[in-house]
Amino acid sequence: MQAVARRPAGTLEKKILAKSVLTRMKRYWVLYVMLLLPIAYFVIFRYLPMPYMAQAFKQNNIIKPIWEVPWAKNNGLEFFIKAFANQSFLNAIRNTVVLNVLDLVMGFPAPIILAIILNELRFPKFKRLTQTIAYVPHFLSWVIIYGLAMRLFAPTDGLVNILLNRAGAASINFLGTPILWIFTYVFLGIWQSIGWNTIIYLAAITNINPELYEAARVDGAKRMREIWHVTLPCLRPTIIVLLVLSLGNIMGGGFERPFVMRNQLVDSVSDVISVFVYRNGIQGSQFSLSTAVGLFQSVINVIFLVGANMFAKRIGERGLM
Amino acid sequence: MKRFLSLALVAIMLLALIPAVSLAEAVSAENLAKYGLDETLKFAETRKITVEIYDRSVDDGPQPDDNMYVDFIKKGMLEKHNVEVEFVRVPRWTEGTDIANLLAAGSAPDICITYSMDVVNTYGQMGGVTDLAPFITDLEAALPNLFGTVGTELIWWNKDPIDGHLWCVEANRIDSWQQNTFVREDWLAKLGLSVPTTLQEFEDVLVAFRDNAELLLGTEAAKLIPFMFSYDVGFRWQPILDSLTPDTFTDRERFIYGSDDRKFLWPAAKETARVLNKWYNMGLCWNDFALYDATTIGTLEDDQLKAGYVGAFVHNSDYPYRNGTDSIHNALKRIIGEDAAFVSVNPFPNETGEVVRYAPAKASDRKIFFPYTNDEPVASLLYLDWISTFENTYFLQYGEEGVTHEVQENGGIKTIGVSGAKKMNSVNNIDYTITINGQNLPDPETKINSLALSYDNTDPRYVELFVHHYLDYDRLMVPVNVGIIEAQEGIGAELESKRNAILGKSISAPVDQFDAIWDSGVADYLQSGGQAIIDERIAKWTQFYGDVDFLQ
Repeated sequence: MQAVARRPAGTLEKKILAKSVLTRMKRYWVLYVMLLLPIAYFVIFRYLPMPYMAQAFKQNNIIKPIWEVPWAKNNGLEFFIKAFANQSFLNAIRNTVVLNVLDLVMGFPAPIILAIILNELRFPKFKRLTQTIAYVPHFLSWVIIYGLAMRLFAPTDGLVNILLNRAGAASINFLGTPILWIFTYVFLGIWQSIGWNTIIYLAAITNINPELYEAARVDGAKRMREIWHVTLPCLRPTIIVLLVLSLGNIMGGGFERPFVMRNQLVDSVSDVISVFVYRNGIQGSQFSLSTAVGLFQSVINVIFLVGANMFAKRIGERGLM
Repeated sequence: MKRFLSLALVAIMLLALIPAVSLAEAVSAENLAKYGLDETLKFAETRKITVEIYDRSVDDGPQPDDNMYVDFIKKGMLEKHNVEVEFVRVPRWTEGTDIANLLAAGSAPDICITYSMDVVNTYGQMGGVTDLAPFITDLEAALPNLFGTVGTELIWWNKDPIDGHLWCVEANRIDSWQQNTFVREDWLAKLGLSVPTTLQEFEDVLVAFRDNAELLLGTEAAKLIPFMFSYDVGFRWQPILDSLTPDTFTDRERFIYGSDDRKFLWPAAKETARVLNKWYNMGLCWNDFALYDATTIGTLEDDQLKAGYVGAFVHNSDYPYRNGTDSIHNALKRIIGEDAAFVSVNPFPNETGEVVRYAPAKASDRKIFFPYTNDEPVASLLYLDWISTFENTYFLQYGEEGVTHEVQENGGIKTIGVSGAKKMNSVNNIDYTITINGQNLPDPETKINSLALSYDNTDPRYVELFVHHYLDYDRLMVPVNVGIIEAQEGIGAELESKRNAILGKSISAPVDQFDAIWDSGVADYLQSGGQAIIDERIAKWTQFYGDVDFLQ
């Protein structure tokens, strides 16, 4: 065995492996060509701009090449100091975390539940129809969704308020009262994404070995027991991976939804980091400040991602890394 | 009169040519050679420039970068200076952000226009804007029309008082168009009310509209809005705010508290908001006004005005009458009836009983600048001169005689509404005549006669009323130039957002919560950069003007 271990660096295996890879690449060349596009996307839009993170430590100038721009004051930390001295930025951090946590707590279980319900449906046609209808909102832009929300929830002529008025109740300002706006925001988020997010869970459920269900039934399990003791445990790795990914975005979140849904009355809860960056960076042309904020946001996200991944591993799951 | 006007126009055109020739000769041969020009100010080789054009997405209008007026400009510039012109569209209502994006990307047009001095200063300080001073100095004699139309004062208005750079030329705001207040004339008549002349009378009219909703709108009574304003309250509150401003308001105070273009820091701001808060709680205003912004309001407000649900509103001077056959005025006539119309009123006198409208100085219109990517600053300056030439302005503002306008016996120029390729996307094509804002006519009488006929299917009586409301009462604010206010840089969008939020929240708050919401909002505004701006403005005023209160 020792002689085998000392054999010169597995040259033969390497050759075989290389040949095998080449053979596979030749056989599936179309797939590799298709892969070029996403690789190009990530290189051009994700990796090449990375040196420009230096803007966070440089004076606010995007006309000169980045290496010619002088360093910012306070050893390059001027814009980080400026950001943390800005009450609007601190509010934006709070709002980002609150809205993302609520999205996670209320929005994360929703597609799991829907996927399980869909899986339990016994009429295939009805199941497919339900699935299709549930996917539709994913393809609507937030501008359209907010337009629908205005038609439903506007205090004066929103459908919901008209019904309330006819029932003798006063109008409720769902979009203009901060606490109600938060719930409307989360509700619309769930409505928009629930169908689409079930896809991955339905795929995972399809892969569950049917013998497990049969065994459970032999043991006398009813539907709820099957879900509890078979479906959910088998979904656990998928749930953990998606949860880790979601936690990695706890300081992030999109721009379109909060930007479109915000209004003058709810800025205290709707102003999130992405909107702050847009307002100051794009509208105010404060590129160094917005890059500093973006960098801070990314660092926090990475910390959450790594932390969640470590936790997942500690509880016995595979995690991401 | 018509014959006189025609002769006068011909004379002006001829006179305009004479100085052009003699002044061109006055440009030194050295400078002509330096910039590749011959003695007729024509380039030996064809040059190309791009020019920003606002896109207003007018429904039945032509493409802003491809129409009869664009062809006229392209042909004229090619013949006169051997310069090819291309237009680059920028959405009108988000122009500040869009032009900033183009500048950031290094793809801004050679000639940029913006209402935002902040954008010019921010990019100027980065080295992103061409210093026009040396070019204008060298070529002043070659730019007689630009100097004649805009004036030396406005051309050099933004010259930095310290290092002398000039990043932009101000357009000449010929008409200091201000907001006007409009009331449904037919509703006043129906309820036997007279035109309001004071704030209290105006409020009484609004209350009467509210209380007589069923009489005025029948089954649609619930849709009646006595006084309409939407998301940009600061734009709409100006006539009331001006009336509540102390008559002793000095130039110094106006400068110190003048960073916000909606007069949010003016002393009367809080009391103006209180008036609107009171009206809101009396059920006189649109409940949902604060839920919309510029990107989401769409045509919702106009639709309500056109449908006849609104009793009164404040907006641009000519707002109900603009847009030809699609105007609010014409829509009301179609939908409600011939007698339905908004009429301009002026019910907000100040403490002395005088109606005063604080109008922006002439140097508060569009700023024209060349980004650093402009390789043709001379061709671009010649473009500004060409576009300022009287006959060119005249054609762009009125189009073809018999097609888009008719000259009347009294000299007035009557606008003929058209759609399609010859329609003007902006009133009198101000988007093309970038060096002036307003009708460029030789004498005031012709101008008023023309303005009265500028609105399709609109009784001149309505137009004369609103024109007089700004001509008679405007108090032109003296412009002040103390160079860059550093505290203002990059903070404009943030403070504007806060201002709008304060206005929305305080006006829609219960009356007993108004003070608390306003005061805490303003404290946050000041802490977020507003106070730093005020402090720097105080220091700059003292540096340049000492302890003087009035400049004139």
